[in-house]
Amino acid sequence: MKSAWQLGIGTAALATMIAATWMSLVGAPTEADQGAVQRIFYFHVPCAMVTFSAFGLVAIAGALYLWLGNQIWDDLEYAAAEVGMVFCTLVLISGSIWAKPIWGTWWTWDSRLTTTFILWLIYAGYLMLRGFGGDTPQIARFAAVVGIFGALDVPLVIVSVRLWRTIHPAVLLTRQNEHGLEDPRMVAALLISMAAFTILFVWLLGLRFKIIRLHSRLGGLKREMALWRAEQGGRA
Amino acid sequence: MSQPILEARGLAKLFGAAAVFSGVDLKVDPGEAVLVSGRNGVGKSTLIKTLCGLSASDSGESLIFGRNCRQHRGIERRVGVLTHQSMLYPNLTARENLEFYGELYSIPSPSTAASRWLERMDLAAASDKRVRSFSRGMEQRLAIARAMLPEPELILMDEPFAALDIDGVAIVADLIRDSIAHQRAILITAHAPLDLGAVQFTTYELARGRLLALSGPSPRERLRSLSAG
Amino acid sequence: MGAFAAILRKDLRLELRTGDSTITLIALSTLILLVLVLAFAPDPQRSADLSAGALWIALIFAGMLGSSRALIAERENGCMLALLMAPIDRASIYAAKLAAAFIFMMVAEAASIILLMLFFNLDFGLRLARLLPVVMLGGLGFAAVSTLLAAITSRTRAGDLLLPVLVVPVFVPALIAGVKASAAALAGATFAAMAMWLKIMIAFDVLFVVAGYLLFDYVVIED
Repeated sequence: MKSAWQLGIGTAALATMIAATWMSLVGAPTEADQGAVQRIFYFHVPCAMVTFSAFGLVAIAGALYLWLGNQIWDDLEYAAAEVGMVFCTLVLISGSIWAKPIWGTWWTWDSRLTTTFILWLIYAGYLMLRGFGGDTPQIARFAAVVGIFGALDVPLVIVSVRLWRTIHPAVLLTRQNEHGLEDPRMVAALLISMAAFTILFVWLLGLRFKIIRLHSRLGGLKREMALWRAEQGGRA
Repeated sequence: MSQPILEARGLAKLFGAAAVFSGVDLKVDPGEAVLVSGRNGVGKSTLIKTLCGLSASDSGESLIFGRNCRQHRGIERRVGVLTHQSMLYPNLTARENLEFYGELYSIPSPSTAASRWLERMDLAAASDKRVRSFSRGMEQRLAIARAMLPEPELILMDEPFAALDIDGVAIVADLIRDSIAHQRAILITAHAPLDLGAVQFTTYELARGRLLALSGPSPRERLRSLSAG
Repeated sequence: MGAFAAILRKDLRLELRTGDSTITLIALSTLILLVLVLAFAPDPQRSADLSAGALWIALIFAGMLGSSRALIAERENGCMLALLMAPIDRASIYAAKLAAAFIFMMVAEAASIILLMLFFNLDFGLRLARLLPVVMLGGLGFAAVSTLLAAITSRTRAGDLLLPVLVVPVFVPALIAGVKASAAALAGATFAAMAMWLKIMIAFDVLFVVAGYLLFDYVVIED
């Protein structure tokens, strides 16, 4: 049942991920201050980028669902939320792994990490709502509203957390040299990684979307069957 | 012949994978009283909710004043609905409940209207008592008053006679007679066909997912005679 | 306007009549403050921060309980259905519920502030005057978010457990800003000093009151 498109994207994802892995682990030079651990950066940052895009997509698909009413938007929204959560979790885990050798703690209340954590909580709530609620159009509407609320909140979370961090210099641990990537090979590694993770995201999104879509269409078919059967029964 | 106030065509409602009812054709004209009878659990409440647009139908449509029943805008005052739930606030008094709804429906002088209805439903003595202290019958009578407050042209009532004693039944029967005389359209559900004397009900039975006409011309016959004449 | 006023008046009348929610909430706030006092013996150095934190914990609890109750009471006996069938704007329902939740929270907060002043030996006067607007801004934002989300959770399985999970993360920006601004106010800072926090709170309030107003329709359509 694999479409050509899916196969194409999957292959592209694999190819770019291999390239990205090589570039991150071998191609890019070791960073002076942080050592080998810094390489996590090439994983962590693209994951974060994907996470924010995914949750943005949730809000847009949600808005389209509320506006147009077509089930396809709801399915896309759900898929984006699930895949987004995976990447969000990876951001937090990779951030934690990065923090330990550098600063000696598993968790830092760094503004970006904190923001991601809040985001994680918001969408965990979203998934819980979906999980508890089931499959009705009502829940789909509720979820769309929660997704939109979450997305609207993000800019405020970013601003408030950043402000919060800047007034606690003692606890603040600045992330050094993040955008001071001097070596062009580091920049290349980052860009390739970003491309790779984006394609990976699209591929995973496609897979998940397909499954959710099938599920929705199955539900629709069941309803039509029930109606048809009822009609037949009456005429008998 | 004037346009029917309520008209349902091919209405169907699913519950999970089974149909509660399907292929429901129904018409209520001004001055007509329709009774839908059926056993407990057959779907009478669902039917009423679907007819008035509180529940979305899975197939077919229900038109009220010629418009899709889900479009409530503009016709809210013209439709009165009584469901199994009373829609009354237990901690407000009978009068306060009616006055509140009177305000929402922009009824001129809600307190006068409230007094009138309390009188009519034989609740005047209890008008300043909280609804939570009411008996089931009293609550039912007040709920009916609430539905009738804006003097709607179409009245849908789900088992209005349940929980009423003989006096209560007489009051509501009188209300129905009066409404019919004023060319309103009424649809009620009940366990079994009722005989209310002066009111001639067009009766249907809801059974096994279908709506069957028991008396009066069937909707199809009526439609046919309409187009012929 | 008429519908908004009618619904709000009805809700306030109901609350005044039964009053069990308000009393419970004040009791709950007192207990929360008590626990905090016992855990962190009032220390003049940290008083402002601690008080601010305590105040906002109480606010969040009050807010969630308040919104849940306001909406559940409406669902009882199908009254929400009646409101939806009435010839009124859905937005009026939202505005009335929001206002009711806000008033309810402010009453509970007033009690909390008084207790706080007593427990932590803070002085009344100018600091209190600066604290009040901060708490009110926070309360408004919380009421906006929680009214909308409570409309969702009141119709979901395990809804009462889900409400805090949905509300608190979304409320974080206003929470951070609110706690910081409150602490500053209690420590004697001027409004100018907390300007950035106040701006965040105002932005939050405007954003979520408007968003709630626009999205409320989608969370109350009966099916």
